[in-house]
Amino acid sequence: MFEKMVKLSRVKSPWVCHFNSGSCNGCDIEIIAALMPRFDAERFGVLLKGSPRHADVLLCTGPVTGQMKERLIKIYEQMPEPKFVVAFGECACTGAVYTGAYNVEGGIDKVIPVNAYVPGCPPKPEAILDGVVKLLTAFKESE
Amino acid sequence: MTPIESLIYMLVFPGFLFLTSYAFFCQYLDRKLYARFQKRVGPPFIQPIADFIKLLAKEDIVPKAADNRMFSAAPIVGLAAVLTAFIFIPVLALHSVIPSFEGDLIVVLYLLTIPTLAIFLAGWTSGNPFGQVGAMRAIVQMISYEIPFFLALLAPALIVGSWSLGRILDYQLGGMWLVIFAPLAVIIAIVTLQGKLERLPFDIPDAETEIVGGPLTEYSGRRLALFRAMLDVEMVVGAALIVTLFFGGYDLIISFSDLPWYLPVLLNAVIFFVKVLFIVGILALIKAVVARYRIDQMVSLSYRWLIPLSVAQIVFIVVLKFGGWLI
Ligand code: SF4
Repeated sequence: MFEKMVKLSRVKSPWVCHFNSGSCNGCDIEIIAALMPRFDAERFGVLLKGSPRHADVLLCTGPVTGQMKERLIKIYEQMPEPKFVVAFGECACTGAVYTGAYNVEGGIDKVIPVNAYVPGCPPKPEAILDGVVKLLTAFKESE
Repeated sequence: MTPIESLIYMLVFPGFLFLTSYAFFCQYLDRKLYARFQKRVGPPFIQPIADFIKLLAKEDIVPKAADNRMFSAAPIVGLAAVLTAFIFIPVLALHSVIPSFEGDLIVVLYLLTIPTLAIFLAGWTSGNPFGQVGAMRAIVQMISYEIPFFLALLAPALIVGSWSLGRILDYQLGGMWLVIFAPLAVIIAIVTLQGKLERLPFDIPDAETEIVGGPLTEYSGRRLALFRAMLDVEMVVGAALIVTLFFGGYDLIISFSDLPWYLPVLLNAVIFFVKVLFIVGILALIKAVVARYRIDQMVSLSYRWLIPLSVAQIVFIVVLKFGGWLI
């Protein structure tokens, strides 16, 4: 009963922290657009938080560059458990066009564990909300 | 009141249990209204409780750089202070006696400054540069809004000639609500309450586009949940204080004296809490229509405008009083 309540409230209030690990900024603009009043992410309980300590979901955009790798790991470790990572955009999923570049490590999952992938270049605002909601539903059903 | 009654008054209604659930409801209303003002749908009804439970169940991190004891004590002290402050506000009259004593207005005002200090200590001891910048801003902001806030709430006490919330309420029960004599003080009190709660336009300490999470940057899990609950309860206490001082507390023009004894008590409580909701609505409206001030603009606003205006209000009341136009 208590477990169920906790799980339900986790699904109902995903707080998001947004991290740019080397994206071209297209994805970041799209994230901000998804949080605007028209799509209203707050009706799912999504809030954008500046501090990784407050967040449940880390939204990563872009391929991981050599410079950002350490910082990405640091940010990830600063988040309290339970935490989830969403790779947002084609680059974050696989590295896409940047694969093989001298300064790029590849997708986010080369560096930290990823729970959900949202493909698209850049993904539509609907896709980000869909991705977050799917992630949480999957989490609810998994345990 | 018998000991049992006082215990129920403190712990169940209108004390801790009721107050916290009511504060969550106020948070919901605040966020929902804010969303509706922006043409959004807004969060669902259970959102505040879901946030609270989720935060309670999360991992609780204490950074190495933080002063451990102060870091854990700050949210508890702040929450305890605001919960205690509410007990002194007369919500209902049991056995037609308003629970109050001379000087409880001062006690409530004193207890209401503790949350700001708790936030300051939280930011200062968390060992995070953002937290420390936020903490300094919180203190600078405090010395600028606290004076007009106190001066504005001094006006009703001056009119009635008493520091007791019960006496001020009693004065309004028979006659007119004090908002008629001190409209300026009401406006100043509401504006500065917004600063006390660190909401727009005075959310300078935790401006999230500038300094991440402000004083609460390093907080996570349980302690963050307590801080959020503290801010909600503080909003309720502040609004309830304004209702009691200016809007006649649980008074409504109609008299319920011919009903059985428990009905008027209940109705009084309902009227009081509905009035508080109106003040919360006004606070949400202010939050929706303004943008954030810079810290220096905030200080100059309160020293150039709010303090002189509240002094003018007090002079006006003194003139009324000695002219004999007030009863
Ligand atoms: S997926 Fe497209 S928009 Fe997003 S970072 Fe990569 S190139 Fe830019």
